[in-house]
Amino acid sequence: MAAADSPSAALRRRDLCSRGIRLAGKMRSDVVDLLDTYVKRQGLDASASVAAVEGVPAAAVERWDEQTGTQRLLENLAAYRAFRVLLAQMLEEHREQLGEADAALGQALASVLLQVSAFAYHLEELLRLESRGPPSEEGAPAAPAPHLGLFERKLRGLGVLRELAQWAVRSARDLRQLAKANPGSGSAPSRAESP
Amino acid sequence: DSHVQYERVGADVTMKCGSMDWDAAVTWTANGTDIDESHLNGSYLILKNVDLTHSGQYSCYEGSSWHLKYQTYLGVGTPPKEPVLMCRSNNYPKGFYCSWHLPTPTYIPNFFNISVIHGMREMVCEKDIFPKNRCHIKYLQLFSTVKYKVTLTVTNALGKNSTTLTFDEFAIVKPDPPESVVAKPVPNNPRRLEVSWQNPSSWPDPESFPLKFFLRYRPLILDQWQHVELSDGTSHTITDAYAGKEYIIQVAAKDNDIGTWSDWSVAVHATPWTEEPKHLTTEAQVTETTSASTSSFMPPPTTKICDKGAVVGSGAVAVCWTAGLVLAAYGVLFI
Repeated sequence: MAAADSPSAALRRRDLCSRGIRLAGKMRSDVVDLLDTYVKRQGLDASASVAAVEGVPAAAVERWDEQTGTQRLLENLAAYRAFRVLLAQMLEEHREQLGEADAALGQALASVLLQVSAFAYHLEELLRLESRGPPSEEGAPAAPAPHLGLFERKLRGLGVLRELAQWAVRSARDLRQLAKANPGSGSAPSRAESP
Repeated sequence: DSHVQYERVGADVTMKCGSMDWDAAVTWTANGTDIDESHLNGSYLILKNVDLTHSGQYSCYEGSSWHLKYQTYLGVGTPPKEPVLMCRSNNYPKGFYCSWHLPTPTYIPNFFNISVIHGMREMVCEKDIFPKNRCHIKYLQLFSTVKYKVTLTVTNALGKNSTTLTFDEFAIVKPDPPESVVAKPVPNNPRRLEVSWQNPSSWPDPESFPLKFFLRYRPLILDQWQHVELSDGTSHTITDAYAGKEYIIQVAAKDNDIGTWSDWSVAVHATPWTEEPKHLTTEAQVTETTSASTSSFMPPPTTKICDKGAVVGSGAVAVCWTAGLVLAAYGVLFI
């Protein structure tokens, strides 16, 4: 493998960042559409407040501009791996609840799940370039979905999708910061410039 | 001792002359002018159904000695109506500001208090020195799904009122308009105009938070705008301009991912390049040309910046009167 700071690695990083930014943009657009469909199909109020959902990685971050490139990648990867599990659970619940009755929502969920998986893989590639390699996914099986009533499950789903939409925006920003940083600065803060 | 008192429009006001007895002989003045005894009840001054013209300095003097016994400033006004509050981030991701005003004046001093809550956290909104009805907040967190709740309370001596705004971090992001918009003709291209601009200087990090742009343009003689959305870059070449016609051009900006479009930039004017008319050499042709006032007149095809004061709101059009003269000259030449 090329050294993290070699010219070819730098080019590859830039290429992965650009494609990742486009992936994140498309993912966000699809998640926003999915949110709209989900709210309508599940009979929810779009402006309903949802308390922080257990097990859903929050996109909110303090001192975002002080994070290192590696921190950004690791946090993103952990989030999208979690979303992969959460969306798979939502898809399973949807199939159990409605079967084939709402194919459009099922397809939209599946499409976003695919994009989340692709993005997670993309992040793993970027981490390999940092000569760090992605952390292994835990050997233990994913925690089962909590036992919730139907309405609670719908609200949880709303919380998952909202947080994913935030992550998609954050990820694009994180990748831009990464692309801006010098090669081999994976351990240095990638500071945003201010006037 | 001087006092201050505030009363509502329409109220009846009774002023006592300090510690003077009711039956003491006194003289009241308003802003230095004696008040007629018909307004007195003993030594009390009675003002019925006060209005704004009753505001002023009231003084009470003991009958014969003219010693000043009591003085008060009367302010007639109204309790505050619900204030108008707006919050916006034009410098994302640094922070946002909130500004406010009252829909109608109260005519007496008002005090404003603003509170900003994000989840469980109360944030400090630092008041600006100018304008004074504005404060700003630094973001402590980014990418949060938790809404911000801003409550503005306005209080005066006659009452209080408040309003609350609740919003997402992304929803209030609205950049300032692009700056330094320049439009130039392209030599030897009668249908092209080259437009360039800069990111608003208030946007702190366009590299990490890139802006996209919306350009609109039309010839002055038409009402219909053409629109172009540009996802990157700060320049664009218009390729379908009408030859010889003066154009008005504006640009707006938006964060690539979140928020809303800025207001339109200051309008700029430009006319595409036109070929110089050939010189006519015979005397008769010179005479004819001179009387038509065309061949010797070639307006410079340069950018003309219109008076910013003429631009009002996002849908307005700025018009330069000199443009009319240019068009008139072209009208003679081409129509």
